[in-house]
Amino acid sequence: MGDVLFLVLRRLRAPLITLIVVYAVSIAGMVAIPGVDAEGRPWRMGFFHALYVMSYTATTIGFGEIPYPFTDAQRLWVTVAIYLSVIGWAYALGSVFALSQDATFRAGAARSLFVRRVAHLAEPYCVICGYGRSGAEIARALDAQGVRLVIVDADPQRLAPIAVHPFEVAPLVLTADARRPEVLRDAGIAKPECRAVLALTGDDEANQSIAIGTRVLDPATAVIARVVDPVVHGNLIEFGGVQVIDPFRVFAANVALALRAPEVLQLEEWLTAAPGGERPSPPQLPHGHWVLAGYGRFGRPVAAALTAAGQSWQAFDPKFVPPDDAEDRVHACGGTEEGLRDSGIARAAGVIAGTDSDTVNLAVVTMARRLNPSVKAIVRRNKAFDQALIDAARPSFTFVQSDLMVHEVLQALTSPLLERFLAQVRVAGTPLAQPTIDALAAALGTTVPWVWSFDCDATRPGLAPTFGAGAPLRLSDLLHDPRDPGTGLCAVPLLLARGVIVATPAVTARSRRWVPPGSRRRDDPRTGVLDQVGSVGAPSVEDRALPPADTELRPGDSVLFAGAAGVEALQRRYLWDPALLERVRTGVEPPRSWLFRWLAARRT
Amino acid sequence: MNREKVVFGFFIILACTLNFGFFVGEIDRPELHHPGELFAAIVVNLIALVLKFGDRTHIGATHLATSLAACLQLLSAALVWTGSVYVAGDPMDGETMATIVSLSGGALVANLISVTLLIGETLRQSR
Repeated sequence: MGDVLFLVLRRLRAPLITLIVVYAVSIAGMVAIPGVDAEGRPWRMGFFHALYVMSYTATTIGFGEIPYPFTDAQRLWVTVAIYLSVIGWAYALGSVFALSQDATFRAGAARSLFVRRVAHLAEPYCVICGYGRSGAEIARALDAQGVRLVIVDADPQRLAPIAVHPFEVAPLVLTADARRPEVLRDAGIAKPECRAVLALTGDDEANQSIAIGTRVLDPATAVIARVVDPVVHGNLIEFGGVQVIDPFRVFAANVALALRAPEVLQLEEWLTAAPGGERPSPPQLPHGHWVLAGYGRFGRPVAAALTAAGQSWQAFDPKFVPPDDAEDRVHACGGTEEGLRDSGIARAAGVIAGTDSDTVNLAVVTMARRLNPSVKAIVRRNKAFDQALIDAARPSFTFVQSDLMVHEVLQALTSPLLERFLAQVRVAGTPLAQPTIDALAAALGTTVPWVWSFDCDATRPGLAPTFGAGAPLRLSDLLHDPRDPGTGLCAVPLLLARGVIVATPAVTARSRRWVPPGSRRRDDPRTGVLDQVGSVGAPSVEDRALPPADTELRPGDSVLFAGAAGVEALQRRYLWDPALLERVRTGVEPPRSWLFRWLAARRT
Repeated sequence: MNREKVVFGFFIILACTLNFGFFVGEIDRPELHHPGELFAAIVVNLIALVLKFGDRTHIGATHLATSLAACLQLLSAALVWTGSVYVAGDPMDGETMATIVSLSGGALVANLISVTLLIGETLRQSR
């Protein structure tokens, strides 16, 4: 605010001085010129009357000649004063209006309003830097989950649609270059309410600056950066504490997973899809020879994944420059048909259309099917409005960068425990994935479950007496319906994490920092996909996937559940009401009030 | 020679001198304190105040503060004058004049500080 006020005052110096001078000259004249009173005696106007007359004359209100009718000399002076003051006011008002239209002034005013509103944000929020396609999709998804958003982008054109998008709560928007530290600071990244900073601009260098700037300004804030360039990727991993997402490598890893362990991919897609929907069917990718159209930032990691999964492949790319890695499996070619033939489409099991043009991708798939009707297709879709076009090609698997980014970011932000569980599944492979799928299918059928974590926080009123004394709390206790202990809750415990939450009396649900994605352990076979080095205050963690029902829970444990809608809210009641757990475990509802507790104690 | 500095210095010193001109003289004798001089002091002080707008340095802020104090004091003096002579309708007496002049004396101190700042700044530049 101070900045804008100073700007206004500075720019209005000349008009203000003009006004003061006009008033001063007019008033001095009125006082100096002799007049006559009602009886015709000489009379001089005092400063007070002169100011009064000038005030209503200059503002064109015009009460007339007060207190006595003016002499001709006075009227002459008033005429001069009227024109002077009209000029003075016109100049002053004109300057004010010009200033209000001034781009610098408007930017300054918008910035100071933004800073004030960010400073007053009292609820958790995320900062999104870069409102491109991925940024917009993620913003909408987070908004739907009730997360407040602060959006920064250097391009006002890209931010313009925010005003018309139906957001649940309007995000705070700033047009500025987020690479600059003061912009990051103004966006409130250092506030404790800031959950995470998402660097999602189209420029890897910019994302790097944002990520590093955030880490330096506030190491406690979680940072997720979208980076494709391997050098920048390496830099950020070296720097530490930044979660780096490379959509191309994530997709390549998914392709490898679909070929090697389809159950793992199926479970992953199932648990991370939108809750309540139908279970997504995982892609069935055939083994054999693959033909890649396009060997750039998309094709390279996919080809590497195919090699890792033991598949043979050949690629063609019109823009390919031969002395690259001197790979004889890649050739530059002119025509699509020629390229497909040369890459061995006749004997291929699948084709991957991965160029950055949707029409070319469509042509590749059509041509490949003509040459080999049984071929399966993986298609990369670049533009949102080409969806109908690409869907018409009936691909087995579609790569859409923004969808993938939404998926990865939401997973990282909303459920860090789920990420840990999925990392374990990826390590263990089918032996862990299959029983999980069976358990989920038995409990939920084919719907996508809601996923949440239950924190055994010993400071909560519902859990304090349980942990204080008496029988141990078992996982099975949490699977009873608190309203009716006879029936079970539709929930599957997926992961038991020891020592995730720290139970200190001062920590309340509202003030507890959310577990930053950075604190997650990464034993990820998809190394480099979601790399994580230098974890932020990593706690000693002992994870147990698919814990048995009789597991004893300890204070500080966190349990990841997947279950039906509304179960989370029911389970949460155990945190607040000690009587519920007592009833579940003993079958008797304990007395709640002090008097009846005392009576019950006397009776025994 | 910088013209902006001349104008700035002129108004600050003129604000001080006019203020002093009104202030000087026995405090309770209305005939020694002319209303025109008070008017001129107020106008020049207002101009000096506006001239100080928008300087974000520390010394600029102090300058602005002294001008604000001086304007406040002088305007209160004018209000006392108006209140007693026009609103209450009493003729000007020694007691009222003493109040008005002592208020302008306060403004004079603020203006002196302003002039001191100006001189200090000038000496520091030493050119």
